[in-house]
Formats: sequence, structure tokens, C-alpha cells
Amino acid sequence: MSGRLAYPLNVLALYALSVVLGVAFYDQFVNGALPCPLCILQRAGFVAVGAGLVLNVMRGPAARHYGLMILGALAGGAVALRQVALHVVPGTGAYGPPFFGYHFYTWAFIVFVAVILGSAVMLAAFREGAEGARRTGFATLAVALFFVMALANGVSTLAECGTSLCPDDPSSYEGYEALMDFMGGQN
Amino acid sequence: MMSIPFFAGAIAILATWTGIRGPLSAWLVFLTIVATLVLFAFHATDSLDIAL
Repeated sequence: MSGRLAYPLNVLALYALSVVLGVAFYDQFVNGALPCPLCILQRAGFVAVGAGLVLNVMRGPAARHYGLMILGALAGGAVALRQVALHVVPGTGAYGPPFFGYHFYTWAFIVFVAVILGSAVMLAAFREGAEGARRTGFATLAVALFFVMALANGVSTLAECGTSLCPDDPSSYEGYEALMDFMGGQN
Repeated sequence: MMSIPFFAGAIAILATWTGIRGPLSAWLVFLTIVATLVLFAFHATDSLDIAL
């Protein structure tokens, strides 16, 4: 596969990951569903995959970048599979409402598997030394959007968990509340 | 602590975007993955309730 075809596919995949993280944010802030620790780590897996895509978009497709994407998808997929296994037995409940028939962690596992399959196909069809396409504004916007998503997730996680590990069943933005308490105590 | 992978990923994206040469970006992505796995190990301590 030439760099000219790989390039738009990487850009589109980066937009798709921004949509995935956007849907998670919508559920968090509009539906008021605080993400659990495993949910947060699945988002971290998406950020790792997206950072690999950014490398492909900005520096041209390379085997090393696809390798990083696969490693990120394996890490995120392991977290998602753990959460699926926690709730797979009938009567063990679920975390959050279903979304188009599946819970978010099941969707996350499906997306991570798709990333691994997609990367494998790109690696198999990838021609070493193929020239990358010229960078477009559409691609720069994809990178900027994903950067904002990664940063926003970091800030949101800091607000929810503070500087330590998250509680298993979070009920409030503990980090934000601790900061407000600290600032209130200073006055 | 849970936000480390996100900030590492964001810095990796920024380093790639600003055109910093060398393998810094790739190592930062790798750090994102390692941090995710380490935090996963902290949160995966209970045994699964699955009897086969």
C-alpha cells in the first residue's frame, strides 16, 4: 500500500478515535456517569493508539508507529476484556447503561480488536519506503482535535481521582473537591 | 497518578506536532502504554467470579 492511501486512512482513524472519546465525554458530562478506573484506562489505551496514529500522520506511515498502535490496543483491550469478564456472569451486574445494545467496555474491546486487525492489514500491505502524502489542513485539524481530547481526559481524570488511584466505584470529582477544600482552607 | 498516561500521550502528540526530531515521541507513546499497564495491575487485584 502506498503512503498516499495509508495517509487518509490514518487521518480518518484519528477522527474516529476522537469521536469515541467524545462519546465517552458526552456520557460523563451530559449523562453524569463518572468513569470507573477501568473505563479511564480504556480511554488511556485509545490515547496511546491515537498517539501512534499522530506519528503516522505527521511523520509518514512506519512499521514502528503501527507497532506502537498494536501495543496500545493490546493494553486497552486487556483492560476492556477484564471489565467484560467482571460482568459476563449473569447476576454480576454491569457498569453504566448499554449503548446500541452493548456496554461501553464491550464496544471498547471491539474497537481495540479492530485497531489490531487494521494495523496488521496496513503492515502487511505497507510498502517500505513509500512516500507519504502532503499534509493537509484536514489532517492537522485531526491531530489538534485528538491532542485536545487527550489533554481534556488528563484534566478530567485529575479532577476525578486527584493525584492517587481512583476508587473502584467513584461517586464524585474527589480531586476537584480536594483542590477546592485546599483553596478554601488557604483563605 | 491515573492521569499520567493522558499527559504522556498529550506530550507525545505535541512533540510530534512541533516536529521534535528523534525517537522522543515514540518513547513517550511507549511510556503511555507502560503507565496504562502498571495502573491496570493496581486495579486488577480481585479474582474474577467465573467458575468453569
